[in-house]
Amino acid sequence: MNNRLIINILRFIGLLLLQVLIVDNIRLGYYVHPYVYVIFIFLLPFNTPKWQLLLSGFAMGFAVDLFCGTPGLNAAASVFMAFIRPFIINAMTRRKDINEDDEPSFNNMGMLRFMIYATLLLIAHNIVLFLLETFSIRLLGIVIIQTLISVISSLLLIFLILLIFRKNHKKIS
Amino acid sequence: MYNLLRFIEKYSNTLLFLILEVICILMLIYNLPYQKRELTNFGNNVAGKIFKTKTNWNNYFHLKDENIILTEHNAELMSMLSQQQNDSLHKTIYHQNYRYIPAQVINNSIYRHNNYLVIDKGRKDGLKKDMGVICEKGIVGKIVNVSDNYASVISMLHPYSIVSARFTNNQHLANVSWNTRNYRYGTVNDIPLHLNPQKGDTLVTSGFSNVYPPDIMIGTIEEMTDSESKDFNSAKILFSTNFSTLRHVFVIENINKNEIDSLFTQMKDE
Repeated sequence: MNNRLIINILRFIGLLLLQVLIVDNIRLGYYVHPYVYVIFIFLLPFNTPKWQLLLSGFAMGFAVDLFCGTPGLNAAASVFMAFIRPFIINAMTRRKDINEDDEPSFNNMGMLRFMIYATLLLIAHNIVLFLLETFSIRLLGIVIIQTLISVISSLLLIFLILLIFRKNHKKIS
Repeated sequence: MYNLLRFIEKYSNTLLFLILEVICILMLIYNLPYQKRELTNFGNNVAGKIFKTKTNWNNYFHLKDENIILTEHNAELMSMLSQQQNDSLHKTIYHQNYRYIPAQVINNSIYRHNNYLVIDKGRKDGLKKDMGVICEKGIVGKIVNVSDNYASVISMLHPYSIVSARFTNNQHLANVSWNTRNYRYGTVNDIPLHLNPQKGDTLVTSGFSNVYPPDIMIGTIEEMTDSESKDFNSAKILFSTNFSTLRHVFVIENINKNEIDSLFTQMKDE
């Protein structure tokens, strides 16, 4: 349990610095804004209580906001994502297939299923974020294009990061 | 009462979700026009230190470009100095209206809907809210929030940035804002109908807003565009400032700002 807390704190700091120092400096245009800090929410264990999910989402988003000078923007988006995470996990996995103590990963969910899970959460996150950022319904079309392109770019990055930090079960056992 | 408690117990997570979202949106709304962000002073300082370290490393890779820009700017200032008459030089030194504070950009965004910069000077260096920020090429933006050692600036690339501008060739006034979603171009609104600006016409600040001194370069007209109102023309403007390569900026302190502002409040009272 303690070990898990430390891992999550390290992950929090690592992803925060990766997001604000490296990924935010990838400037590919008005429509491309990859987000990798959301991995923190993706990888919280299946049995995390909902209130912990929500507060973790808030903390992660707010930390990124402090760096971007937009208090509330990323926080609102990642709280929303944390809120819908249990529904998506319930829809995509069967209780008996997973060990409740585990973290969602390629190994226990399957690569395809994990990427669908990530895509759905990212779409929820990005659409809230871009809607709040533009703050007008008139620009809805632009928000949708932004969401689509950003989700694809985020997915590519997240896939790479997860592949690099993948735990290899065969070697351990 | 019992039912209420049961209701809260049953929907506690949804309630927590709603409370957190309301907090976020309130923070966002109160932040939008003018940031009241004393409470994040701490966060701002930590974030600032980390960005500063990043910039210190990055600077080594841009030393050559930076030297060229500084030399060019120096040469420009020297030639301006030599053109000035002696007594007008005397006037600028002893009747100075604006003070320039150099600062370094430590974080910058250009592709968002609302773009901000963070600079490495703060309250300790005399920076205040609403001071203008320029660079050697032209205007940059306006300070919206100051912490002890850092300040955040809304750049021209922000829907709330509107600057009063003047055509250099005929002294007519117009407003410059940004809604093009491209960091190179802005929009000029409120051009009088009888005026027909040509490509390449230059716009400078009018100096009426107390934020920027007069005659700071904004950009050149690129093309005429369709206007939303029938009473005025509008045009696309190419910013003279390249926001993607901003590194050194100057914060402008208007020494007479308090005096001018008190005059305005007196006028309103009467």
